[in-house]
Amino acid sequence: MAGSLLGTEVRRVEDPELLRGRGTYVDNLTLDGVLHLAFVRSPFAHAELTAIDVRAAEAAPGVVAVYTAADLDLPPVKQFMEVNPSCARLPLATDRVRFVGEPVAVVAAESAVAAADALELVDIDYEPLPVVVDPEAALAPDAPRQFPHLGSNIAAGERDAEGAAVLDDAEVVVRARLENQRVAVVPLEGNAIAVVPGGPDEDFDVTIHVSTQAPHALRTVAAKAFGWERDRVRVIAPHVGGAFGGKFGLSAEHAVTVGVALRHGRPAKWVETRSENLQSMPHGRAQVQYAELGLRRDGTITGLRCRVLGDCGAYAGFGGGFALGPTRVMAQGVYRIPRLSYAGIAALTNTTPTGAFRGAGRPEAAAMLERLIDLAAAELDMDPVDIRRRNFLRPGEFPYTTLTGAHYDSGDYDLPLTEALRLAGYEDLRAEQARRIAEESPVLLGIGVSTYVEITGGGGGGEYASVTIDQDGTATIAVGTSGHGQGHATSFSMIVADELGIPLESVRFVQSDTGRVPRGGGTGGSRSLQLGGSAVRRASEELLRRARELAADRLEASADDIELTAEGRLGVSGVPHASLSWAELARAVAEDGGRLGADTDFRPEGATFPFGAHVSVVEVDTETGFVRPLRHIAVDDCGRVLNPMIVRGQQHGGAAQGISQALWEHMSFDEDGNPVTATLADYLVPSATEMPTLETANTETETPRNPLGAKGIGESATIGSTPAVQNAVLDALRHLGVRHLDLPLTPQRVWRAVRDAAEGNPQAPWREPPGAFDELPVRGEGPSPAAEEAAV
Amino acid sequence: MDFLRPTTLDEALAAKAERPGAVPIAGGTDVMVELNFDHRRPEALLDLTGVGELAEWSRSSGSDGEIRLGAGVPYTRVITELGGRLPGLAMASRTVGSPQIRNRGTVGGNLGSASPAGDTHPVLLVTGARVEVASVRGTRLIPATEFYTGVKRNALAPDELVTAVHLPEATGPQQFAKVGTRNAMVIAVCSFALALDPDRAAARAAIGSAAPTPRRAVAAERFLAEELPWGTPGPLRDSLKRRFGELVAEATEPIDDVRGTAAYRRHALAVLARRTLTWAWNDQQERSPSCA
Repeated sequence: MAGSLLGTEVRRVEDPELLRGRGTYVDNLTLDGVLHLAFVRSPFAHAELTAIDVRAAEAAPGVVAVYTAADLDLPPVKQFMEVNPSCARLPLATDRVRFVGEPVAVVAAESAVAAADALELVDIDYEPLPVVVDPEAALAPDAPRQFPHLGSNIAAGERDAEGAAVLDDAEVVVRARLENQRVAVVPLEGNAIAVVPGGPDEDFDVTIHVSTQAPHALRTVAAKAFGWERDRVRVIAPHVGGAFGGKFGLSAEHAVTVGVALRHGRPAKWVETRSENLQSMPHGRAQVQYAELGLRRDGTITGLRCRVLGDCGAYAGFGGGFALGPTRVMAQGVYRIPRLSYAGIAALTNTTPTGAFRGAGRPEAAAMLERLIDLAAAELDMDPVDIRRRNFLRPGEFPYTTLTGAHYDSGDYDLPLTEALRLAGYEDLRAEQARRIAEESPVLLGIGVSTYVEITGGGGGGEYASVTIDQDGTATIAVGTSGHGQGHATSFSMIVADELGIPLESVRFVQSDTGRVPRGGGTGGSRSLQLGGSAVRRASEELLRRARELAADRLEASADDIELTAEGRLGVSGVPHASLSWAELARAVAEDGGRLGADTDFRPEGATFPFGAHVSVVEVDTETGFVRPLRHIAVDDCGRVLNPMIVRGQQHGGAAQGISQALWEHMSFDEDGNPVTATLADYLVPSATEMPTLETANTETETPRNPLGAKGIGESATIGSTPAVQNAVLDALRHLGVRHLDLPLTPQRVWRAVRDAAEGNPQAPWREPPGAFDELPVRGEGPSPAAEEAAV
Repeated sequence: MDFLRPTTLDEALAAKAERPGAVPIAGGTDVMVELNFDHRRPEALLDLTGVGELAEWSRSSGSDGEIRLGAGVPYTRVITELGGRLPGLAMASRTVGSPQIRNRGTVGGNLGSASPAGDTHPVLLVTGARVEVASVRGTRLIPATEFYTGVKRNALAPDELVTAVHLPEATGPQQFAKVGTRNAMVIAVCSFALALDPDRAAARAAIGSAAPTPRRAVAAERFLAEELPWGTPGPLRDSLKRRFGELVAEATEPIDDVRGTAAYRRHALAVLARRTLTWAWNDQQERSPSCA
């Protein structure tokens, strides 16, 4: 066999059909007799439902039925993570609505147009209630309560006992109140589901075609909610047009679609609009962080205190829980920090429930720490690079357990930093920056650095894979991950080709269908290559072991002497003409009534911790406040790289979304809780024109926790990029006395900060956090139930 | 909702006379957004994309060189075909939306919507454009300065359609600039256009998104006419540029909204005014024979 494919730029095998427009999405399915659904959504952020009259809508042309909660009697929505069990949500609101966009009724019609036209005929009486939009305001003792029986708007919260004492050893303390703003997931394809009822005489009781990143998890939830045997439910994810954490589980609208299909014994379909997507798909980030870093005057960190408020939105959305989970777990970052105290609150607001978005709690941790480090550098008049290097954990310290209980596998944090600075030409950039300041140019240069570590492949689960050889000699992979653009078909086929000597084009790939793959964890938390790929590797190894035994029998040799030849045949070592092709062996096994294949459930030795360094170069127009990203250098270390092109693609996409959070995106609401950025005219997703050229590279520090040595890459560049850009903008303004600016860095915000600093009145980055943090219960000893739960 | 599809201008005018409530639609980049969000629900749409007469531009035979730009000519053609003759309009057209939107959107549509944030309005004001409107009763020309009557309101009678815009060819430097959260695909926080006419020692300046209607900054124009050292080569004094910026800011009547505060708009317009004046003046210096 020629040299290994692994580590080479193999072109993606899944692209031709996508590029030719032959992708198949849920909305492309043709289903006879399908009912089209549309949802009547609440225009109020908080109100009592006093009456619903559906008669006019029912009588409208093409309408088959109109249902409210009382008609369908559906089980509560089960979120990916439960923050508070007493904040249950029913798929259609019953007596109260808690955010704008919450479904109240559903119209089922013979066409999508008929369903949409009938929506406004549903007559609903609302009695508006006081609204809480801001998570800090939600903590006030007299704030309107979303769930009166809770006693407050705190869905969850806990603190470490130590508190301010962790800063006792400090000579200098820097503090900031940091907003990690709410962002929308914005997959190009929104939610979509088509439910086809089956029955006892058919293969399945129900078949669900759905745009999801985890079909098996959705099957589990659907089976439990509707009382089916799991094996009687088939879930299929066809092509999925992006998910980014937003497509986990059975959503409220999904459950209603299932309910309507069952009620009518007809297929039912729901495909959401863009505005619906921006209102109802869980939003991400949405944290307010009160963070304090203690240091000695030489820049050595002595302690870190964090009080982090996560915005759950309505119904204790699980994104708010990240403040207690992954953000806490990753709070220590890449640094040696002797003492750490952390408190987290997940608060209820009358806004869209929050959930996972690319990074899910870890970008917030990195942004918090990286901002503090830069504040400290400014305070101590140090270079941001030097202060980082002074505090890095050293390569010899791994494996390393952090103060928050994360078990870091491997790391060499200066490695990507050194490379990123080299690629950036750091010294030259500093010289150019100084030149512009000296010339009093209104357009300044900013150079921002971030060094991060994150957690991937966590959650404790493993992954299933099988590899079988058909009688024509082709291999078929079946795997429990559910790729939707990440290049799994390519990467996993490369592993099989490498292990079995079967050409890439003779490897078939099966995923995302619970009828064809028995179990699986789906795709999220940057888990797929390290878990799914490792499972494919293990199954291939087992298959080869079996094949050698079977070939040995037929070639009358010892299994130890069977080797894979350069032509990809199973031959006897030292006997050139004694060999079998894979097809011959598969046929021989079939003749004996067997099947040439192997499967496995791979379990890793723990989560992995990718890391990296980003350098952002921006121009800041001090007169208009406009920020232009000029360059972005991303050096991400995801362990061993299988296909550099695919890794680069993840870095590009990740950095684009991270840069965009820094500069443009912000999902916002008015004081009444109406979303004011619910269209793509107002919600600014990144486009090619404003993205700088991305300069990506990798260092490769392997993990010992899986056979590939691979760590996740899907979210790394999102995590690394946002703080680099934020730090770059503030770096440009450092000499003016501007210390902090919240995200996104809009022209108006930047201009105001420059003006205030020029007037000798710079905005203070700190104010005392809400008193609610002091009243939280103390976190119990031992591992937190939320620890290492970074599976989205 | 009826969808009317005239194929000639006469048919279109007859339809508009018969159905004054029909909303004209050309590229649809404004109208479709409003329909999609249910901000309006007209009794009928009058699709003008089939009217060939509207999609052409021509140059008058006189020596003064006036362009008659049909209301249905998309921005892309303004940029590629008229960039040399109408530089200010082409600059503004380049900042509209994305390539796809520039392929569909039209100056006529911008006028029909009359949004204070429409990108081309400040340029039409500073170039002395006249809006040609027609009805079954006849045709008239409305100076751009009289066209905008209120927020999203214009001087059209219910039976009239915008058929063209008449713009003099540039006789001096023209500039356009805007500020937004990003450069493309975003509604401007504020915008500014400037035209210098060295032969007449005159200047025109206009603002967008900073008052109920697009408007000229008349005091700032007068200041430039009097203070610009028209015949003298060399860069402009900083104090002159600053004062011009202040006068432009004083001409605004901005509001606080989700895109920006009034204070920021006022400030940013002063900056845009200073900068565009610098660029236009430098441009003028390069053209001027005394520098050659």
